[in-house]
Amino acid sequence: MLLKLAWRNTWRNKRRSIITLAAIVFATVMAIAMRGIQLGTYTLNIRSVVELFSGYLQIQDKRFLDNPSLASSFVVDKNITGALKTTKGALAYAPRIYADGLISFKDNSRGVAIFGVEPEREKDVTTFIKNINSGRFFISDSSNQIVVGEQLLKNLDANIGDEIVLLAQCYDGTLGNQKYKVVGTVKLGVQELESSVIFMGLKSAQSLLSMGSRVSVVAVKTNGLTHLAEINRSLSAKIENANLNVLSWNKINPELEQAIQLDNVSGILFLGILIVIVAFGILNTVLMSVVERFREFGVVLAIGMPQLSLTYLVYIETFIITVIGLIVGNILGCIANYYLIVYPITFGGEIKKLYEIYHFLPQLKSTLNPSIFISVSFLILIISVLSCLYPAYKVYKLEALKGIRHT
Amino acid sequence: MEIVKTENLVKIYQDNGVPVEALKMINLSVSKGEYVVIAGPSGSGKTTLLNLLGALDKPTKGKIYFEGEDITLKEKSDLAKIRLHKLGFIFQAYNLIPVLSAIENIEFSMMLLGIPEKERKEKALSLMDELGIKELADKRPNEMSGGQQQRVAVTRAIVNNPSLVLADEPTANLDSVTAGHLLDLMERMNAEKNITFIFSSHDRQVIDRAKRLIILKDGLIES
Repeated sequence: MLLKLAWRNTWRNKRRSIITLAAIVFATVMAIAMRGIQLGTYTLNIRSVVELFSGYLQIQDKRFLDNPSLASSFVVDKNITGALKTTKGALAYAPRIYADGLISFKDNSRGVAIFGVEPEREKDVTTFIKNINSGRFFISDSSNQIVVGEQLLKNLDANIGDEIVLLAQCYDGTLGNQKYKVVGTVKLGVQELESSVIFMGLKSAQSLLSMGSRVSVVAVKTNGLTHLAEINRSLSAKIENANLNVLSWNKINPELEQAIQLDNVSGILFLGILIVIVAFGILNTVLMSVVERFREFGVVLAIGMPQLSLTYLVYIETFIITVIGLIVGNILGCIANYYLIVYPITFGGEIKKLYEIYHFLPQLKSTLNPSIFISVSFLILIISVLSCLYPAYKVYKLEALKGIRHT
Repeated sequence: MEIVKTENLVKIYQDNGVPVEALKMINLSVSKGEYVVIAGPSGSGKTTLLNLLGALDKPTKGKIYFEGEDITLKEKSDLAKIRLHKLGFIFQAYNLIPVLSAIENIEFSMMLLGIPEKERKEKALSLMDELGIKELADKRPNEMSGGQQQRVAVTRAIVNNPSLVLADEPTANLDSVTAGHLLDLMERMNAEKNITFIFSSHDRQVIDRAKRLIILKDGLIES
């Protein structure tokens, strides 16, 4: 009967209940849509960045992250290739060499970051090969061919087809040097990178740096971000070399993770403000509905209703409105997020250029990740319970006689 | 058997910081089955006395014994239990719960006692039938006249077989014919079920039908 009473009380002042309901629905939809866009876009950006170059996972020597030198290189043996082939969710892999060197053309010299890669494997793991700006990408077996950052070629005052000299310290400490022909340039968006990067074949790099069959890292593509931790664990367990680590994208690109965390905090802050506004709305409604029923409450207290039951009644009424609001809000939020998955907001003009500099897709896309719906609903439910505390306290302290005399 | 008894009962209110003595040394005893009317002019202390007897308020001085037990110093929750189990209230403004039907209003106090739904529905219907208001069962307060609402309020007050029913100016909002019917009903309950009634009223009709009349004036029992 208490439930029946609460239900009828809820709809006693229909206009007020509908306004409160609308506020809860609005907050729920906004929060779900906002978080959906935020988390969905994060996923999109992470994928976009890790698929450009770093890969979802990387196998590295344990020292490599802090000291990315040739001394931290390793041999990709059968155990590693076997582990990569048998780990569920690991789709492809590409071994690489990372090294520093000096590039010279005529009187111009520049410090460069050398990346030794296998284009055939990279095609399955990353997308940077597609960023060729002019010329072409070399093929794996071709020696003495390199692709350089577009700005680097300008800085050297060289052209595609020119021969440049590359000088680098080898794995064994000696100096290696070799002539290479520039066959193409890449545009990577970030000026610093474009003015210092060169790509060459893995075997060429191994030869230049006297590394034998050693590599610096193995980039791994997985079937997305969802099961990444699980794939990482599984792959790590299969690799027998205790000196090797399997690192996820966030360890390889900590600056990307930090940027996301920073943006996430601002999103949560906005969400907090939205929910606090709704909390005051609920507080106002519940307080009004309680104060205007003091006389009625006085009567039921006089009849002998326990103070606590009356407080429950107020809570049940708030709970009813909140739950209805959450159900409607979740349905509408789900529709909104689904719409933004099918029809993401795509930017053009300057914003598009800005996004592309950071290798982000110029899109705002949502997600139907259940955690958004659960956390938003839980948060609003908690807020409604909290905003009901003061009215409930007033009811709990109400004396029957004061209630009956209330006008 | 003595239902309620007061000893040197004093009630002082603070009215904007000024103490107002609403009741002065009231000594009163009401026995089982009595039909008592407390009468007096406005401000004589009728409602204050009724509120004290109904465990709705606490005296400034003196004692109140309910069925022999001193209730003066009892906790709020204990007084609520006494009201629920032993007392019935009828108010001047009917005070039914507006969102509940007549039968649900009657069931409400039984629900508070934890009586199962089926049992309380049967009991409420049976009592409504006995009091001739069965046809009002599904009506909400706003669909009933004042007299009908007050009959439902009487039914609600007696449904738990209370030791004492307190009625504060129950006929004040009713016309004389309806008031007469209501008093008939309560007299019948008093005679047939031996329910003890204490009224506060300055309605001539109520006073004339009192089996015991207590006149209050300026917070004192005059006769």
